[in-house]
Amino acid sequence: MTYLALGYFGMLVAIALWTYTVVQRSRRLDERLSALESTTATLTPVEKEGE
Amino acid sequence: MKLANTLLFVGFLGIGTSLLLALLWAPSVSINAFESPAAQRIFYWHVPAAWAAFIAFGALFIGSAGWLFKRSERMWRLHVAGSEAGLATGLMTVWSGCVWGAAEWGTPWDWSDVRLNTFGLLTLLAVYVVLGRNSQPDGVETRDTFAAFGLYGFILVPLTYVATRIWTIRHPGPVVATGDGSSINSDMGLVLLISALSFTVFIVGHILASMQLTSLEQRLYEMQQKADKVM
Repeated sequence: MTYLALGYFGMLVAIALWTYTVVQRSRRLDERLSALESTTATLTPVEKEGE
Repeated sequence: MKLANTLLFVGFLGIGTSLLLALLWAPSVSINAFESPAAQRIFYWHVPAAWAAFIAFGALFIGSAGWLFKRSERMWRLHVAGSEAGLATGLMTVWSGCVWGAAEWGTPWDWSDVRLNTFGLLTLLAVYVVLGRNSQPDGVETRDTFAAFGLYGFILVPLTYVATRIWTIRHPGPVVATGDGSSINSDMGLVLLISALSFTVFIVGHILASMQLTSLEQRLYEMQQKADKVM
């Protein structure tokens, strides 16, 4: 039973870590998007015309 | 993203259900046939995880080929998603196999068993591709290098598949799709089927989610480059 518990525990950890990396990527993306939005919001109309 | 999230949710529910069925409902194996009958229940996740790993490595192969021969961004995203999924499911398979081996054989690994070694190599390939790619700046050379590994490494998949049929050493032979009928009890087969379907749905959901995230990351990177030029 110890081996059985150990086996499934390890696999559950792998699934949790794998899903966590996807969630983390999504969060980082959100942060980068917010940073870009706040940066572009500070641009003056002249700077925007200069694109 | 909605489809990916739905598949992830359904797959996760199915995986959880299969775990409960494996532990509480599936019949026990004969105590005379196994050294450790209790540990045999690991097989309800071990086999589907290995199946899911083959799907992931298939995605890695198609993505790698698509990038190398067509220069398709979409195929590159499939390469990224396939390698990550292959790493996760490969590690799950190796881990559960080692734990079962320790219980049943008295040793977690047998270096003389072809299937163990080819599957271990396949998982190491996924480790190398994922860690290597993340440590390098994105570019054509980086993509070509890792796509080549994904392409040629796929040869280990059919080799692993036939290894048990040709060189049966330690790893048990196939219990389903053997050509002469299944060698497992119908209740066991049902739990295994539910688990395999759930893992398939789950991994497809993960691959789709990962592909969409990579696409968003690429779009955001391009926007940042444009914004940097303006400022």
